[in-house]
Amino acid sequence: MSLRDQDQSPGQMAAGRRFAAAGLAVAAGLLALAPAAHAEDQIPTVPAPPASGDASVQTANDPLEGLNRASFKLSMGIDHVVLSPVTHGYLAVTPKVIRNRVSSAVYNLGEPNTVMNHVLQGKPKRAMRSTARFVVNSTVGVLGLFDVAAKMHLPPRGADFGQTFGVWGAGPGAYIYVPAMGPLNVRDGVGRVLDVVTDPVSMFVGGFDTDSGKARTGVTIVDLRAQTDPAFHALKDAADPYVTTRSAYSQYREAFIREATGEAEELPDFDTPPATPTPRKAAAPKP
Amino acid sequence: MTSPGKTMKNTLFTRRGANAALLTFFGAAALSVASPALAAQARDPGAEAFVQAKAQRVVTVLANKSMSEAQKKQVFHQAVDELADVPRVTNFVLGKYARTITPDQKARFAAVFRTYAENVYQSRIDDYRGEQLKVTGSVVRKPGDVIVNTVISGGQITQPLPVSWRVLGGGQSWKVVDVQFKGIWLAITQQQDFVSTIDNAGGNIDVLINQLQKNGSGSSGRR
Repeated sequence: MSLRDQDQSPGQMAAGRRFAAAGLAVAAGLLALAPAAHAEDQIPTVPAPPASGDASVQTANDPLEGLNRASFKLSMGIDHVVLSPVTHGYLAVTPKVIRNRVSSAVYNLGEPNTVMNHVLQGKPKRAMRSTARFVVNSTVGVLGLFDVAAKMHLPPRGADFGQTFGVWGAGPGAYIYVPAMGPLNVRDGVGRVLDVVTDPVSMFVGGFDTDSGKARTGVTIVDLRAQTDPAFHALKDAADPYVTTRSAYSQYREAFIREATGEAEELPDFDTPPATPTPRKAAAPKP
Repeated sequence: MTSPGKTMKNTLFTRRGANAALLTFFGAAALSVASPALAAQARDPGAEAFVQAKAQRVVTVLANKSMSEAQKKQVFHQAVDELADVPRVTNFVLGKYARTITPDQKARFAAVFRTYAENVYQSRIDDYRGEQLKVTGSVVRKPGDVIVNTVISGGQITQPLPVSWRVLGGGQSWKVVDVQFKGIWLAITQQQDFVSTIDNAGGNIDVLINQLQKNGSGSSGRR
């Protein structure tokens, strides 16, 4: 019972935002408000799934570990000779102000895809807010270079197909490390493919076969690598960088999905795990 | 850039004003839904106050530009004792091996882990170089086990960065046992890292101790 009570909390934290957003929702269309408020208010009261939902945090679903480790090693090698030098060059020659403009522009181009996923997740308010962001930032924000919308109380709120599948109830599935794409799981891998093939901007402006599409892909990759550079540094501290990546990625994605579902996070009891070996621990893969 | 921005803001404010009445109307409906949830939500003011004071101190120290790296390291070392429950974290990150570790290994591991963790945590918090920490709320998982949510802003942070702290204790004595950035808990990640390292060494904990000794000293050298 107490667990269910805690499920209310993420929704509550968003309560202030919800009211701010309600103002916008009314402005955008009265009709939308009632169902939207209803939908968002309902989410936190949905009972949490049984404790097995935290499997991704507790034990790794990694049946292809051998292959994945090889793939991880290869990718880190490639990163070391290609992507890392390019990124550090970029970090060295461009001031942070410029890099923030680039990040904003890259994010802005992804906004239509975000809107699409908010709709698929049944979140009309978020969809409207993201639409407003795209319109404002693409115009007033000079093709997305400036995140003007964030200053108008429309902070970015990402969404992708992996998250949508998660909201629909899909578990992460097996972990996979794809060379040149990085850590993924089955759910988010399928999501990633869908993100690419259904991307509205690619369809209307030009996909990878056009120069603009190629430029966008290149810039997106360098921007992502630059943004995750601290994580790459952190990996140097890890005793087992492969497992650290797997653990961090899984937690990051589950948190991203909880952001959409409003579910509470399942955490291990801090003091008990060593004392009582659970069946899950016993089933952990032995090398 | 400024004038269109202003126009947009102005229209938004006017719209907001015009819809204030409507909002009140729907707000009443929304509140009726929200209030039972509010009652059910448990916050812990004691835990929140603890994190606000102690975590802010750490952030302030790391943002202090007039301090040398060596000074920061020293102050951080002291702050960790006030902020974190090091023995509990030490036990947690060993996972299932906390049950089989020998007292001798435990003593060596504790010493190595302390240095290693200080370097790692300082680097992680330092990566963001924020200045202000503000508690935004807390969730009582069970009495004495609380997640305190904060945002760090200012400094080099362009968008407020949410950071959550897991604190254990009660009354006047609280201690942080884990920190979460971008959905990732540091101690949970370290536990998986360490347990896997020991697993792959055929259960030999000394391999991990040696590894951390190497990494811990290497990490302090960077930046």
